[in-house]
Amino acid sequence: MSAAGLIVALYPPAVRERWGAEIGREVAEAGPRSWPDAVAGAIRLWLRPGDWPETSAGQTRRVVAVALFGVTAAAMLLLRAAEPAPQPLAVPLWLPPLAAGVLLAAPLPPMRWRALRVVCAETVRTMAAPGVAVAAIFALAYSDATGVAVFAFYWATLAFAALRACTLVARCLRICVAPTTRRLRAALLLVGAGLLAGAYQTAAATAVAVTVALALLAALALRAGHNLVSPRPDRP
Amino acid sequence: MYSTDAQMVVLTVLAEGPRHGYAINTAIEALTGRKLGPGSLYGALTRLEARGLIEPAGEDGDAQERQRTMRITDAGRASLRVELEQLAKVTRAGLRALGAEPA
Repeated sequence: MSAAGLIVALYPPAVRERWGAEIGREVAEAGPRSWPDAVAGAIRLWLRPGDWPETSAGQTRRVVAVALFGVTAAAMLLLRAAEPAPQPLAVPLWLPPLAAGVLLAAPLPPMRWRALRVVCAETVRTMAAPGVAVAAIFALAYSDATGVAVFAFYWATLAFAALRACTLVARCLRICVAPTTRRLRAALLLVGAGLLAGAYQTAAATAVAVTVALALLAALALRAGHNLVSPRPDRP
Repeated sequence: MYSTDAQMVVLTVLAEGPRHGYAINTAIEALTGRKLGPGSLYGALTRLEARGLIEPAGEDGDAQERQRTMRITDAGRASLRVELEQLAKVTRAGLRALGAEPA
């Protein structure tokens, strides 16, 4: 994929569908000097889901829900990196708001047997491979195997499972009822608050890079949550 | 260029008539001496459309072409007028403060 194609892929789907061809053409014509502005434009639009054009009904809610799960998955990996051995029975400060946000943003399963069967089938189909990988990790742990390869396999499995979980949410949103804008807004604000708490806790553990990354994710979630319902000014 | 400035320049150019993205940027270059970056231009178009200040134009042609050519709405004209009047007031005050007479 060309640099222009990669940059266009950074934009929210609805904006990409509407303006992707033009953005790609202008980035290709202007060359590398246009890249910072084009990337900054994509980030600004992700922070303002209320501005996205809807090319299909409920598209914004579906994309925001998947993005929220993506942010949460990335945050979980960061928190795991910062705190490899959590204290047993101790509930971290960030967990309750993060869990509440994820529950609020989860697709609601339809109360019909046929649809529930489809959801179950999708879950098995999407999560089977990460399930096997996680089982392999347990097998490795009990075999006392160590080394760089085991370490790399552990992290690759976590990243793979996170990616497949987001894919599952995207697939379920085609079948299930997408969360309302109000629920999504509350979910984004709760996840943002949880990530802020996580950033605070990792700062205490002197994990600077993780703290900064969590704080940026928190800012993204809070800003997007605020924009999702904030009244639009009528000035240009 | 700040995003609100980009939106005002895009509205100004569209007040002259409907244009598609590339033509908007060409007109902006003629007006200001420099083009907007792709992120600024298409971000401004997205935000202006979300606020109902511009809309897809054209009765003819295929749906995709209609979607890409944009025109200013009545709300957009009213909003641009207010913004430009405020800007003109600031310009006059600034020039007076500098001891220069506005043209």
